[in-house]
Amino acid sequence: MNWRDLLTTKGILGFGLVALVLLTAVLAPLLVPNDWATAMNMRARLEPPSLAHPLGTDQLGREILWRVLLGTTTSVWIASAAVAMSLVFGLPLGLVSGFYGGVTDNVLMRLVDALLSFPALLLALTIAAVLGPSLQNTILAIGIAFTPFLARIVRGEVLRVVRMPYVEAARAAGATDWALIRRHVLPNIAAPLIVQATISLAFAVLAEAGLSFLGLGTQPPDASWGLMIQASRDFLDRAPWTALVPGAAVAITVLGLNLFGDALRDALDAKSRPR
Amino acid sequence: MAYIANRLISMAVTLFLISVITFAVTNILPGDVAMVIMGTQSNPEALAGLRESLGLNDPLTVQYGRWITGMLTGDWGNSLVFKEPIGPLIRDKMVASGMLVVLSMSIALAAAIPLGVWGAVHRDRWQDTASSTTSLLGISLPDFFWGIMLILLFARALGWLPSSGYVEPGESLTEALRHALLPSLALGLGLMAHLTRMTRSTMTNVLEEDFIRVSRAKGLSERTVVWRHGLANAIGPVMTVAGLQVGYLFGSIIVVESLFNYTGMGWLTYQALLNRDIPLIQSTVFVIAAVVMLANLLVDLLYVAIDPRIRLG
Repeated sequence: MNWRDLLTTKGILGFGLVALVLLTAVLAPLLVPNDWATAMNMRARLEPPSLAHPLGTDQLGREILWRVLLGTTTSVWIASAAVAMSLVFGLPLGLVSGFYGGVTDNVLMRLVDALLSFPALLLALTIAAVLGPSLQNTILAIGIAFTPFLARIVRGEVLRVVRMPYVEAARAAGATDWALIRRHVLPNIAAPLIVQATISLAFAVLAEAGLSFLGLGTQPPDASWGLMIQASRDFLDRAPWTALVPGAAVAITVLGLNLFGDALRDALDAKSRPR
Repeated sequence: MAYIANRLISMAVTLFLISVITFAVTNILPGDVAMVIMGTQSNPEALAGLRESLGLNDPLTVQYGRWITGMLTGDWGNSLVFKEPIGPLIRDKMVASGMLVVLSMSIALAAAIPLGVWGAVHRDRWQDTASSTTSLLGISLPDFFWGIMLILLFARALGWLPSSGYVEPGESLTEALRHALLPSLALGLGLMAHLTRMTRSTMTNVLEEDFIRVSRAKGLSERTVVWRHGLANAIGPVMTVAGLQVGYLFGSIIVVESLFNYTGMGWLTYQALLNRDIPLIQSTVFVIAAVVMLANLLVDLLYVAIDPRIRLG
């Protein structure tokens, strides 16, 4: 892939947004002390955005600006850890299935098919409810729920690579399975896998927001966008900014990831389909 | 025919696996049905007695056998929270959610197909940018956030539609539709965005094919070329994706129905999960997975019926 192919409006905008969100996620806990975000001020409840309260205050008089900034860290951390987990489970599953084929493939893919019949959000919610809601369990729940998708995609990509003449040649020359996987398969499925991971990150951010919105994800007093939107429901008429601000934060993050994922895919396609 | 037989066998296997997974996941729950019925503070002897009488001391395989036999023979047990037989409960809620799924899918397809085709026809021009920007925005906002915006606009500001509740279609069809409209829109907007992108990319590829050039060369109007010849070849993949999105919808209804207090399957599942109503969790999760699987099977079979190349290939 040529990195210059990423320099489209989509790619630059997507990269910019993702960089902004990542930077916020890393810097927020260093720059915003936690008690700023939890400090209640009963005399300044549901204040609209103003100079004193840049993004307004919530029903307990807490500054929404600090809460939404710290929420970025929660959201990014959960989404990245969950996607990393689905990769850790999904990659070996897909590799074994695609590379060895036969009975193993059949059994594993039946299992993946069955798992894919459960809507990802339902699976994540059920796991979170079963294990008890907490930050770690949210990661686990989303990670497990996304694993079958990843396994499916890895398998497909492995099948594509294994059929390539150079892999056949290497095999004929006596390369071991492990050498084939390490030298030929893994490097060649890396790029499509990165695209998939980027798009999965966007879905994971949405899933975390959904889980927290239902009270089965991040728990108070941790700041989370889904929790903020949940809390805003009772004050929508008087204080719409309590919903709009975290909603916009979700939108910026997911939009950035989607744009960047799209641009990555376009750049990859440009290589495989020269015209 | 062999294709269909094959699909049906693999369906049975998948259904079996779905039931095993459902049963396994709900059995990792700390605490069991006896604990949920009697509470954590209950007397240990009474608890042990109830466990024995509910058969919770049997090996898991025996318990699974009893559960699956019940599911297959229509004896789904009683909900611990609602104190009602689960079968009729789920049937009622399925009607409610069915309305949402059908309505939101119709809204999404009705908007996505023209928008996607429009984007593909005017590729890389402002119309395309407008169509893809709208759909990216649609994908990027969680559906419960769309739901809140819709409540603010149509229920609070304009007062046109109710913001919560469910009315049975048998009671009043207009009221049922009025109550289903906002949740369907909340579900449909995200779906529409996905389907618009899918339509655009499939249509873009189709419009580059030789038969389109031939149709143009022989003097067919652009309208016939795009809408008859182009769309006829792009609709298959779009419908397949739409079918796959039924699964996504059944995940989203959990959030959206809870937001709108719309008492369908999603709402029921959420109540079951919150209250650790184990028999109800098992039944709702199993039914949803089975319905999603059936929807995908149906789409596959429809595709084969429309496009004989699959059968032969």
